[in-house]
Amino acid sequence: MSLEDLIDAFVNLDEEKVLRIVEILLREGKDPAEILEACRRATALIGERFERGEYFLSELVFASEIFNGVMRIVLPELKREVKPTGKIVLGTVQGDIHDIGKNIFKAFAEAAGFRIIDLGVDVPPERFVEAVRTHSPDILGMSGLLTISYESMKKTVEALREAGLRDKVKIIIGGGRVDEYVKRYTGADEWADNAMLGVKKCREMLGLGG
Amino acid sequence: MVGELKSPEELLKERFERVEKAIGLGEPDKVPLIIFTCGDVLRKYATGYELYFNYDRAREASVKFVTEYPVDVFLAALAAEGFIFALAFSNYPDIAPSIRFWTGPMHDALGDKYTKWPGRELPEDSVLQFIGGQFMDVKEYNKLSDDPVTFVNEVIFPRACVNLEKAGSSKANAALIRLGFEASRYLRFLGESAADLAKVGIPSLPLTFAYAPLDFIGDFLRYPTGALIDVRRYPDEVKRACEALVEPIIKVALSLKPAGAKYAFIPLHLNEYLSPKLYNEFYWPTLRKIIVELYGQGIRSLVFFEGWHDPHLETILELPRGWGIAYFEKTDVRKAKKILGGHTCIMGGVPPSLLLEATPDKIEEYVKSLLGEMKPDGGFILSPGVADIPRAVPHENLKALIEAVEKYGRY
Repeated sequence: MSLEDLIDAFVNLDEEKVLRIVEILLREGKDPAEILEACRRATALIGERFERGEYFLSELVFASEIFNGVMRIVLPELKREVKPTGKIVLGTVQGDIHDIGKNIFKAFAEAAGFRIIDLGVDVPPERFVEAVRTHSPDILGMSGLLTISYESMKKTVEALREAGLRDKVKIIIGGGRVDEYVKRYTGADEWADNAMLGVKKCREMLGLGG
Repeated sequence: MVGELKSPEELLKERFERVEKAIGLGEPDKVPLIIFTCGDVLRKYATGYELYFNYDRAREASVKFVTEYPVDVFLAALAAEGFIFALAFSNYPDIAPSIRFWTGPMHDALGDKYTKWPGRELPEDSVLQFIGGQFMDVKEYNKLSDDPVTFVNEVIFPRACVNLEKAGSSKANAALIRLGFEASRYLRFLGESAADLAKVGIPSLPLTFAYAPLDFIGDFLRYPTGALIDVRRYPDEVKRACEALVEPIIKVALSLKPAGAKYAFIPLHLNEYLSPKLYNEFYWPTLRKIIVELYGQGIRSLVFFEGWHDPHLETILELPRGWGIAYFEKTDVRKAKKILGGHTCIMGGVPPSLLLEATPDKIEEYVKSLLGEMKPDGGFILSPGVADIPRAVPHENLKALIEAVEKYGRY
């Protein structure tokens, strides 16, 4: 069993096989960081299939389930710190308590090497501001499903501006109902209406290429 | 404008005929404009809490909206998704329709874990939110399939509603009696609200309700992501459960037929998540069966195809011509027309974000260009593409939408 087998099984969403290979590789003494790197490559390939229209949201949901399963096994074995690609403060905005999209994004962003500070749902502007001040993230990710979330996103961007933090962080909004207009309304830097696009835009904002 | 000289009765008749003509794939006098809301835009006139907990305030808000923004049909769903209760009472057609949606006070009575409300779990000025949950174990699919109605009543309710935890207890009985009281208040509210709108010349659609079986599993039993994962891990169990849900869902939809219901509203959720392969295997066959059966019984469906339905558009052609209304959210209605024109009435077309951020001129230009393509041959209803409009939409933008339809929508 090799890392290539792991990537192959992951991309084909063969959950049982992925978990079996991870167990075997760990038993054989493979560096857990390399296993995570293989998972990162696999999720990038899954993202490509999604972009080509071969995979859909249900495949992303299942892939994030598989990834979370791998993390449960691999994380406790991880001896050395893996340097993150970047740091993202993430949350569903005030008044909205939906988190399916946020959680899929979180799994794929983690798989892509980002460190995520997840503030949960119904997060008021002041908590986002406080988290940006405390963690100095590269990116702030605001998620929302309902149309009422637009107002909260806008308020949060304003609160960051008032706190003098707006220029210190890139802001991306995410959710099934955000687009270029909503981006302009809220004053964010980027938008994404699916998790894969969100990860891609986060990489681009940090100058890492898609 | 000519319309303003007509009496409310004339306007009522004219608007209803306009909508019915479009649904019947014909060319009315003008492209109809329908606006749906779950409360967001009505927060211009009342807080979220007032809209869901105070029927008088809700009635006033709806009348204020349509007075300011006259549309052909205004649908305010100021209540949460409660289809599981309708299904649980599907053998009692006198009860099922009255509890198909939950109001704020019904949430208080039941203590359900499915929904969260302004002034309760959420800030007073928010909107109600359906959050769902996982109330069924994967091992219970067979029990669900064997007898959905019994399973929901006896196993799911005690888990999903705090006040129904112990069936037959004083607390649970009191909750059901309170629910009954509230249901009759709600029915009265619906009647009065429709009468309010009729008085100012706005018709209401005679609606009943149905549900896609896999959405029922995702929304009320296994959580949407749980249902999607089950489709992969337990495909046979999921399929059998979907089939078992068809009959009680149809019963619920038909329970309002004697009261004159002509359209079954079916909001879809998981359609956007599924690949064509999974959609055609797990989602569409049972949904199709429901739509076709209802059509045979004289009820057309109003299906809200949530999100991006593009990969599944052609399956709609499997339905009988004139089966109902396809209401699209993110699917481009122009593309839908190329596939479904002359077969299915198409509804949608205006992104709510456009209303939020564009100028009135841009909105006019957008509607002009859209209607240029969508108006010919009829069968089109203009509507914001998601069942709400943000409160922050400027007054002049909503006015621009209505005026643009007046200007460019005439046949």
